[in-house]
Amino acid sequence: MDERTWPNNNTDVCIRCAACMAVCPVSRVTPLFPGPKQTGPGAQRFRKPGDPSVDEWIDLCIGCRLCDLACSSGVPISELNLIARAKYLDEKKRPLRDWLLTHSYLFSRVASFFSPITNFLFKNRGVRWMADLLLKIDRRRELPVYESPTFRQWFGGHRSTGEKKIAYFYGCYINTNEVDVGKAAVQVLEANGLEVFLPPQECCGLPMLGNGDFEGARKMGLKNVPSLLQAIRSGSEIIFSSTSCGEMIKHEYNRLLAIPGAEEVAPHLFDLFEYLRKLKESGNLNLRLKELPIRAAYFAPCHLRSLGIGLPALDILRLIPGLHIENIDADCCGLGGTFGFKKEKYEISQEIGKDLKEAIDRLNPEAVLTDCEGCRMQIRHLTGLKVLHPVQLLRDALT
Amino acid sequence: MNLKTEVLIIGGGATGAGIARDLSLRGIPCLLVEKGDFLSGASGRNHGLFHSGGRYVVADPEAARECIAENRILRKIASRCVEETDGLFISLPEDGLDFRDRFVRACEEAAIPARLLSQDEALSLEPGLNPDLKSAVAVPDGSIDPFELVLENAGDAEAHGATFLLHTEVTSLLLDGDRVKAVVAKDLLRGEEYRIEASYLVNATGAWADRFLRLAGLHIAMALSKGSMLVTNQRVSHRVINRCRPPSDGDIIVPNHTVSILGTTSIRLEEIEHLEITPPEVSLLIREASRMVPAIETTRFIRAYAGVRPLFLSGEEGGDRAISRGFVLIDHEKRDGIRNLITVTGGKLVTYRLMAEKASDLVCQKMGINHPSVTHTKPLPGAGQRAGLKERLKTLGQGEILCDCELVRREEAEEVFREGKLKNPLDILHRTRLAKGTCQGAFCVYRLLGLLNESGKIRGDSNTILKGFLEERWKGIRPVLWGTSVREEELIESIYKGIFNL
Amino acid sequence: MQYDLIVIGMGLSGLMAARTAAETGRKVLIIGKGMGCLTLFSNTIDLLGKIPGTMELRDGLSQWIKDHPDHPYSKVGLNGVEEGIASFSSLFRSPYSFRAIGDRNSFIPTGAGHRRPTYLIPGTMIAGASCNKALIIGFKGFRDFSAGYVAGPLKWRGTTLSVPSLFNREISATALSRWMERESFRETIARDIRKHLKEESCVGLPAILGIHDPIKVKMDLEEKIGVEVFEIPGLPPSLPGMRIFNRVKEWLIGKGVDFLYGYPVSEISVKEKEVKGIDVHHPPASGFHSADRFILATGRFIGGGLTADRGSVSEPLFHLPVAQPGSREEWFGKSFFDEHPIHRAGILTDSSLRPVDQTEKPLFENVWIAGTMLAGHRCIDEISREGIEIATGYMAAKNAMKQ
Repeated sequence: MDERTWPNNNTDVCIRCAACMAVCPVSRVTPLFPGPKQTGPGAQRFRKPGDPSVDEWIDLCIGCRLCDLACSSGVPISELNLIARAKYLDEKKRPLRDWLLTHSYLFSRVASFFSPITNFLFKNRGVRWMADLLLKIDRRRELPVYESPTFRQWFGGHRSTGEKKIAYFYGCYINTNEVDVGKAAVQVLEANGLEVFLPPQECCGLPMLGNGDFEGARKMGLKNVPSLLQAIRSGSEIIFSSTSCGEMIKHEYNRLLAIPGAEEVAPHLFDLFEYLRKLKESGNLNLRLKELPIRAAYFAPCHLRSLGIGLPALDILRLIPGLHIENIDADCCGLGGTFGFKKEKYEISQEIGKDLKEAIDRLNPEAVLTDCEGCRMQIRHLTGLKVLHPVQLLRDALT
Repeated sequence: MNLKTEVLIIGGGATGAGIARDLSLRGIPCLLVEKGDFLSGASGRNHGLFHSGGRYVVADPEAARECIAENRILRKIASRCVEETDGLFISLPEDGLDFRDRFVRACEEAAIPARLLSQDEALSLEPGLNPDLKSAVAVPDGSIDPFELVLENAGDAEAHGATFLLHTEVTSLLLDGDRVKAVVAKDLLRGEEYRIEASYLVNATGAWADRFLRLAGLHIAMALSKGSMLVTNQRVSHRVINRCRPPSDGDIIVPNHTVSILGTTSIRLEEIEHLEITPPEVSLLIREASRMVPAIETTRFIRAYAGVRPLFLSGEEGGDRAISRGFVLIDHEKRDGIRNLITVTGGKLVTYRLMAEKASDLVCQKMGINHPSVTHTKPLPGAGQRAGLKERLKTLGQGEILCDCELVRREEAEEVFREGKLKNPLDILHRTRLAKGTCQGAFCVYRLLGLLNESGKIRGDSNTILKGFLEERWKGIRPVLWGTSVREEELIESIYKGIFNL
Repeated sequence: MQYDLIVIGMGLSGLMAARTAAETGRKVLIIGKGMGCLTLFSNTIDLLGKIPGTMELRDGLSQWIKDHPDHPYSKVGLNGVEEGIASFSSLFRSPYSFRAIGDRNSFIPTGAGHRRPTYLIPGTMIAGASCNKALIIGFKGFRDFSAGYVAGPLKWRGTTLSVPSLFNREISATALSRWMERESFRETIARDIRKHLKEESCVGLPAILGIHDPIKVKMDLEEKIGVEVFEIPGLPPSLPGMRIFNRVKEWLIGKGVDFLYGYPVSEISVKEKEVKGIDVHHPPASGFHSADRFILATGRFIGGGLTADRGSVSEPLFHLPVAQPGSREEWFGKSFFDEHPIHRAGILTDSSLRPVDQTEKPLFENVWIAGTMLAGHRCIDEISREGIEIATGYMAAKNAMKQ
C-alpha cells in the first residue's frame, strides 16, 4: 500500500496524559503490548520514512478504538496503530492463516451449501487440532457454524412489501452464519412499513483492514460503494445491523481508504436501531409490542461506540414492556474480529473477555444482547448464555 | 586537600575534555576541573550541527576547510556521536541564485562535496520544505550529539590516566613570579577545598576565559554572544536545513535524535549566567525557520535554550596569535609573561579536536617533549554506529522504560549510576536521553528519583531534588508555552502542585 | 431529537450537570470530545484546600465566599455548594462511598510523601488521613509509585515487593489493579507484607486496589494482613478517577441519558441570542443535535475549553470572551511554583452562570457555564478543582432547568 495515501496525523497534540492507558483493554491484560500512548504518538516520534518497521508489538492492538474515544486531545491512536501494523505486516509478510481469516467471504457460500459437512469438520476435534497446528488458529475457539439456505437465498423467496423502500447491508456473517438476525431485521423493518431490498454487496473489508491489509480492504470498498450509491440515488436509505460493517463503510471507507463516493454514502447509512430511534422520534415507530418478561443485559460493541451514535438499541429495547434490561459495564469483549482466533492471541483475547464475563455475571441475565457478531461469538464462548442481536428480541416482541 | 598534577585543565567542555584525552594519550598526566558537570557551557548548549564547512565557505574558506577536514576525521573516530544526515542549503525566491552559485564554487574550492538539486529533487528528499524553493545544494552536514562526544573523550582520557574534579570551581590562582604556583578550587556540592599544584595550566573555560584570567590579574578582550534555540517535539526534517544565503539569524534546522533544533539568534551579552530567551527571539526563530519548513509555524515546541559563544576580539593586543579565524590559542608567556599558562577559546564544536591538538602541542612544546598527537586517527572507545531512531524504538516492549518519551530503559539509568561517579544525581540527564522528549522529564525524573530511592542512592526527602529539577525544567519550557504545551503544562502542574501538593 | 438539555463536556462538571437534569426526568444528551479528565488527576474531592484543617469547612467556605465575590463558589452560594456535594455523594452508596472527616479538610498522604488537604475521601483512602505510621508498599515494575520515595518525607518505612511470576517487566496501573482483584494475588502479597510489617499500624499502597470493587479488595487485604490498608494517589492514570467516571456514566445511562464520547462538537448553530443545536463532525458525516438549553463544561486547557495560541487565550466553540492576563510574557511566573496569572483566565458569567459580555449582559439566553473554565478561581493553587466542578455543574443545571 502506498504510504502517501494514508492520512496525516498530528501527534504533536498528545500531552502524555495516559487517559488512553486507563482504557486500553490489551495493556491491561498483557505487558507485551506497551499501550496506546507508547505505540501511537510515542512511537511516532521514532518513525522515520524509509526505516524498516521494528514494531513487533503492533499486532497486539486489538483495534477497539477505545483509546481514540478516551483521548481529549484528538489523537487518532488506533489509526496510527493500524497504519503501523500495515507497514509492519507488509514488510514481515502475512501468514496464510491471516489470509484465510480475512477472506472467509470467498468460501462462505460453499461452506454454507455444504453446511452439514462444514459444520461437522469445524466441530471435529481432529480438524481443529490440525488448524491449530498448521494454521495457528486456536483449537479452543469454536469455529462459526454455517447455515443453509443463506440469508440472501431466503430473501430470494421472500416478498417484502412496504410504503417506502429501504436497502439492507446485512454483512457476511448474517448471510451464512446467523440468518435469523437478518430475518428479524427484515421483519422489524417491514413491521414499520418499510419494503426491504438487498443491494448487491460483498464483505465490507474490515477483517482485511484490521489485519493491516489496506489494499484488500480497499478492493472490497470499491465493489460496495457503487452498489450502495445506486441504492441511495434511487431514493433509499441504507440500514446495517452489524456495527462493525457499518462503522467500516460509514467512516473508514472515506478516511482511511479514500474510496470515491464513500462520503456520499455515509450520511445515508444508518445503524438499524439508530434508524428505529429516528422513527420513534418522528412518531412513526411501530410501538405495538407485547410483554417479554426477560432479564436481559445489553453490551455495546466497540464499533458501536466508535460510531458515536449513543446506545440506540438500548433506547428501543427499553420500550418493550416487561423486559428488564441493563447495560453491561465493560468495554471490549476481547475477540477483536479475527484477533481472538489467532493462536498467539487467544489467551489475551480470553483475559480481556474475563472482565466482560465478570460484568455479565454481576448482572446474572437470562440473555445477553449485542449488535456485533464478533461480540456475540465471544460472549457465547465465555458464558454459554443465550446471546442475541437486539433485533431478534424486538422481533419477538412484535405483535 | 592538596593535589598535584602535570597539567591542570580548567573547563569541562568539548575543548577541555579533548585536551585531557589528547594529553593522556601522549602519556602526560592531567587533571580537569569543571565547576559544573561536563558540557555546562556552550558545548552542551548549541544546536548540534555537524558542520561540513558549508556555512562558512563563502565568507571564510579557511574555517570551512578546517571544518570539512575535522568533519572527515570525526566521522571515523567518533562515528557513534554523529548522525550522517546530510544537509541541504536551500534557496528561496528572495535569496537570489547569485549567492548559490558562489556557494557551489566555494565548496568546490574548499573540497566540500556539494551537489546541486532541483526543486523536485529537494522536495522529494524533504517533503516538508517550502514548496517555493528554487533549488538546494546537498552537502555532508550532519548532526552530532555533543554529550556523547564529550563523555567519550572524557572516558578515554580517564582510561589513560586523566582525572576529573566536577562541580568544582577554581576560586583563586596563586602566582609565584612568572608562573602560576597553584590554584585553589572548591567543591560546590560538598564544600571541600583543594589546593592544586600543576606544572602547566590550560584555560579551556570558553566564554568564561576572561573571567578566569582575571584571577591571575590578566585580561583578554572577549565579546559574548547569546545564541537561542528552539526544540520541536518531533523532527520536522531528516536532513540539516540551511538557507543558502550569508549566515544569519534563524536559518538552521538540525535533526537531532527525535527532535529538530532551530537556531539561532545572536545577541551581545554582558554576563554569562541567567540566560533568558525572550518572546521576540522566539518569534524571530519561528518566523525565519518557517520560511524553510512552513509547518514550523504550527509545530509544537518543547523547549528553548541559549548558549554563549565566546568571541575573541582579535588584533586588539599585539601579542595575540590567532591560530585560525575559528579559534584562538594564547601563550600567556609571550603575551603576559606567565610561563605556564595558556588559553584556548572560541572555535566550533566540530573543530574541538583540532583545538585540543594545537593546545596540547603548545603544552608539549613548553614541556620540551615531542610526542605527536594521535587523536586524528585513534577512534573513541565507543566507536560503532550511532543508535538510530529505530534502534531506540526497538527497546519499547523490552523491559522497563523509565522515560516514555525518549525510551530510556531503567537499566540504562542504572548503568550510569553503577559507574558511581555522579556527584549530582541529575547529572544523569547529560548522560542519557532522559527528560529530552515531549514531557521534558515531568514524569521520568519522578520515576528516576523513585529508583534512586529504592537502590539507596539517595535517602530521605527526594522532593528537594525534584523541585530543583522542576525549576530548571521550567526555564526551558516557559518561553514556549502556548498551544499544546500549555495543555501539557496544566497537567504537570496539576500533578505536582495538585496531587502531590509539593 | 430535541433534548431538554445538551451538556458539552464529560468531566466532573458535565457529568454533574447531566445528572442534575436527568434526576428531574429531563431528556439529556452529554457529549465529550474524550472521556473527560477524571482519569488524570481526580482521586478525592478537593473543595478548598486553603481552609485550615482546624476550621469547619462550612465556616471557611462562607468566609471565602465573602472575600471572593467573583469566585465560582460565590456564584453558586454556600447552599448550592453543599447541595451539589450532597448530590454527588449520594451517587456513591456503600461500599465505594465518599466521606469527609468531621466536616473539615483532612490530610492524606500523596505520591511525593507530602500530605494534601482534601475534603471528600473515598473509603479506600480514608485510613491514610489518620494513620501516624504506615508501611508503604510499592511493586517492582510499577514505576509510577516508589515506596521509598513516598516513605522518605513522611519518615515512614517503604518496601518494594517483587512478585516474581508477574513482574519481570513493566506493569501498568490498570494491569496491576486487575491483579489486585484476584484473591490468589492478594494472598501472595499479603504474605510478603506481613513479613515486612513491624510496628506500623497500617499499610499504604498505590491507588490500584481494583476498579470494580475496591472496598472488597481493601477489606480482604486488611483481613489477610491484619492492619488497616489505604490507597495513595499518584501519577495518572488515576483509577479512583476512573471509578468516579464509570459510576456516574452507568447511572446516567441507566437514567436514559444519551452518552456520546470520542467526537468533538464542531459547530454550534445560533439564532439571535439562542443556541439551537450542535454539529458533531465524524468524518465524512455530521450529526446535528438540538436542545432547549445548553451547558458548556469543556474544562480548561487540557479539556480544550480554553485554548492558547501565541497571542491570546480563547474559547473555541462559542467564542465567548475570556478574561485573561495581557501578553504571553505575563501568563507564567518565573518560577514553576508561582501562582501563574494564566490560571485566572476564564469565562465571565452572571450570578446564574450564564456567560456575559463586557457590559455584563448575558450573551445567550439558553447557555450556562460549568466547571473549571469559569473565571475567578485558581483551582490548582486553591486545591478546589472537584468542588468547583461539582458545585457549578450542579448549579448550572439547576439554573438551566428553572428556565
